[in-house]
Amino acid sequence: MPTVSVYVKSFGHIPELMGLSRSVITQHPMGRPLGAPGDGERQRAVINMALGLLANSDPTIVEFPEPYRLA
Amino acid sequence: MADIAPTESIEELRNSFAYGSRSDLNFKFTRDLSDREFGDFLSAMFAATARVADGGDPLDVVNVAYEWQVQAYAGHLGDPDKFPHRKTDTPLTVMTKPLTEAKIMLLTSSGHFVDGDDPEPFGETNMSQTEAETRIVEFVKSEATLSAIPVDTPTDKIRVRHGGYPVQAAAMDPQVVLPLEHLCSLVADGAIGSLAENAYSFVGATAQGHIKRTYGPTWAQLAKDQGADAVLLVPI
Repeated sequence: MPTVSVYVKSFGHIPELMGLSRSVITQHPMGRPLGAPGDGERQRAVINMALGLLANSDPTIVEFPEPYRLA
Repeated sequence: MADIAPTESIEELRNSFAYGSRSDLNFKFTRDLSDREFGDFLSAMFAATARVADGGDPLDVVNVAYEWQVQAYAGHLGDPDKFPHRKTDTPLTVMTKPLTEAKIMLLTSSGHFVDGDDPEPFGETNMSQTEAETRIVEFVKSEATLSAIPVDTPTDKIRVRHGGYPVQAAAMDPQVVLPLEHLCSLVADGAIGSLAENAYSFVGATAQGHIKRTYGPTWAQLAKDQGADAVLLVPI
């Protein structure tokens, strides 16, 4: 089953340790992996990046480039 | 305050934020700092708070906490070579259809469930978040319970309880980890083909070995049974 995962940076070492196939690492505090409450734009951007990785046929770990922000 | 000793070491103070007398899961990482690092963390937080008092950006305080959180957790698993769930290979399944035609299933360890469908951990009804935190050791040793969340569930019908992470953001806006509205929007826009009928959530602080040996294969089959072409995983 193809998978893609989203991790906060505090646990950004997990995907490599556990051999996950495709992962996005966000620079967000624990408990807010996709973005701050109410920040729908950021949440969608992270989801789009993650879903975009599904087309990759090689293992991929990428960091979402933008830092955390408040809504 | 009654259970706080009249004197307290720096170590006791650090540990009090992690399921102790001052439990705050946003700051449980202080348990993993040295006493000196904890002092540096407090100093940075005080300085950032003072800047905010003088009109600075409130995000500065969040950023200080975030940076120390990242530093604290960087080594919390110890020696990577001794990590019991370490894999040396990276199995990868290739997508067989474009995203615009694919059915996506969402699985998260956020602890969300639908109002009226409480997983009732340990047989207890209406367990509070505070009790979940108090009983975290029991959760970590217990079996995982998967909650099915129909993807069209109204946001105001979604509840969350998890003793392992600060849930206030996930309670205020489930989309921070359970992005049902965004995924439905992507389907409406034609960016993805469809969604599996249900998303799934469980309390990730659970017996990890059981997840690898038992639940992983079972849940992968669940995704297949729902006709999913891929799974979006949002661990907390």
